[in-house]
Amino acid sequence: MAKLLDKQRYKCALGAMQTVQAITRAIPILHSGPGCAQKLSDSTGGSGYFSPNIFPCTSINEKDVVFGGVKKLHSTIDNALKVIDADLYVVLTGCIPEIVGDDTQEVVSEFDRISQQERFEEAGGDPGKFVYKPLIYASTAGFKGNNYKGHEQIIDAITDQYLKRSDDRQKGLVNIWADVPYQDLFWLGNIRELEKLLSEIGLIPNTIFGYNRGIENIDKIPHAEFNLLVSPWVSVRNMKKMEKKLGIPYLHYPTLPIGAYETSKFLREVGAFAGVDEQKIQKVIEEHENYYYYLIERYADLFLENRVINKEFSVIADAQYALGITKFLANDLGLIPAKQFITDDTPKEYQAAVREEFKKLNYGLQADAVFETDSYRIHNEIREHDYHGYPLILGSYYEKELTESLKGNYLNIAWPVQDKVVFDDFYAGYTGGIRLIEDIYTVAVQRFN
Amino acid sequence: MGELRQIAIYGKGGIGKSTTTQNLTAGLCEHGKKVMVVGCDPKADSTRLLLGGLAQKTVLDTIREEGEDISLDRIMKEGFGGTKCVESGGPEPGVGCAGRGIITSINMLENLGAYTDDLDYVFYDVLGDVVCGGFAMPIREGKAKEIYIVASGEMMALYAANNISKGIQRYAKTGGVRLGGIICNSRNVDREMDLLRAFSKELGTKLLYFVPRNNVVQHAEIHKKTVIEYNPGSSQAQEYRNLAQAVIDNKDFVIPTPMTQERLEEILMEYGMMDMADDYRI
Repeated sequence: MAKLLDKQRYKCALGAMQTVQAITRAIPILHSGPGCAQKLSDSTGGSGYFSPNIFPCTSINEKDVVFGGVKKLHSTIDNALKVIDADLYVVLTGCIPEIVGDDTQEVVSEFDRISQQERFEEAGGDPGKFVYKPLIYASTAGFKGNNYKGHEQIIDAITDQYLKRSDDRQKGLVNIWADVPYQDLFWLGNIRELEKLLSEIGLIPNTIFGYNRGIENIDKIPHAEFNLLVSPWVSVRNMKKMEKKLGIPYLHYPTLPIGAYETSKFLREVGAFAGVDEQKIQKVIEEHENYYYYLIERYADLFLENRVINKEFSVIADAQYALGITKFLANDLGLIPAKQFITDDTPKEYQAAVREEFKKLNYGLQADAVFETDSYRIHNEIREHDYHGYPLILGSYYEKELTESLKGNYLNIAWPVQDKVVFDDFYAGYTGGIRLIEDIYTVAVQRFN
Repeated sequence: MGELRQIAIYGKGGIGKSTTTQNLTAGLCEHGKKVMVVGCDPKADSTRLLLGGLAQKTVLDTIREEGEDISLDRIMKEGFGGTKCVESGGPEPGVGCAGRGIITSINMLENLGAYTDDLDYVFYDVLGDVVCGGFAMPIREGKAKEIYIVASGEMMALYAANNISKGIQRYAKTGGVRLGGIICNSRNVDREMDLLRAFSKELGTKLLYFVPRNNVVQHAEIHKKTVIEYNPGSSQAQEYRNLAQAVIDNKDFVIPTPMTQERLEEILMEYGMMDMADDYRI
């Protein structure tokens, strides 16, 4: 029997064009059918210097299928390099050329060689005047997996085809990697907050996504002392690759730190790995915690007297938010986890480790987390569960109607997002925890007013 | 004029599908039948003998160079005995998708109205194994309903024939496609006719015709002609006329029952060697 997947919460691997878009002045060149990018560019916040509407695309058709699409790819790259002023060009393949067997890698590497040589000659062979325009390629056929895996393909492509090992390491420089831009609504704010936290304990953060970051930051990657990965599973393979190729060790911190408990733990662990003085870390933590608990104390009346937020909650999100928010709500707010649903199609090899993280809650609590991509099943399970009051549901827009039917409290924190606009808001760190409490209780106080 | 019979010819690469198809076509022409031959092989050599050379432009070449707005006479040529000849063609070796090419060109033929009412037979001469969905196009969507597999007494030819039968079985379950029989293009191996009969029986079909080996076929090929055109009085020309009659008269169409590799090897052991074959003395 064919299985019907109801309302999945991810896109295909070609959705990684948004990862490229998140790198300032980097542009994807799509080797795909004409509709792919249109379907994949549905998020808001996608306009700017480059937007999906101007992504060069081969728009291949039946003729290219029969005879191969490499000629069209060649001319598309050629023209993109001529008319688009970018710092990094990333060729992404969709399903069709991968099935047909177009040798995209060969076209790209040959092109890169020839066009760089031509530009070098145009500059009169003067390395000072020559502008190197990096061109790389990532295989992002939709049948290879979802956009979480596509994102990994991009980072791997940068590592494999652009970065070179360096023995020149900068003391304290740390590359920070987190979840998938655009797929994660709060990607920009989160990564900036993680940068800020690391700066406060004396480290020098380096990230490649968002405003004022880009190729210069990519160039810094090989000079870092270590990579810090804040994600349950996304990019673990990227870290391994960088360790092998660039000799950069990594610290894998699986939980997105939200709120005081997890963020303090995060700072201690990162500090210990980096060899930062414990007292210095303690001082930073104390300052943050003092303010954090000052706010919590002030609003203790709200937590105690509000009868709308009941004990049990479910998070329906990718592993990053399912884990981060579950830990936060249990450890910091004292809520009880009902079943948690991880919707990002976590690869089997990582599932056991991710599931184990849900058992590491305070107060002897453990959360039951399931890997489920089918919204029909998720919704049935939520409907059948007794939340002992109004359920608190944090999920995608797909949960809005369901939660309303259960008279529950609902917050849209995961893709797809339809009921809020997020520029650079975030849930990471101490401040992020407070923001999440604000959002949850904003829903609560609106119920009977 | 009866109902149009659309026939696909499959078989191992190099077994003689194109030669057999064209000589069979020539035989049918002598019986007064109107025939179209559609070559479904990127090498585009399925109509050489009927046309007296490889001069024909393929459907896909034409689409590539002139686009899809073309007339039928640009891609269809008339060959021996008034046969209509079309070559699907394909991409250069190693690039693109030849399977999709077959689909594209057959759709093109339909759109251009190549399947006229005066036709009695359409033959699809398909390359080697059915490697992907595109090469199954002639037996999908209700096109060819009859299939003949060209084989010989050689092990790999029978292996390929059995494999092709698996493809036919798949499409037979959902569509109307049926196996009409095995045509043996003899290689003069031991007990070839017995072996092919046993093999055909195991597949649930019959040995439709046994075409003996004759050097005149080679001579005719060098002269870019079918045997019937090159040497109409030869015994081999009569064999092809008989094959044509066997096709005309054939009414046994079955869903094949492919066998396991073990069973195929058993049949080879049983029939594939002369009793004295191993008793070899200098």
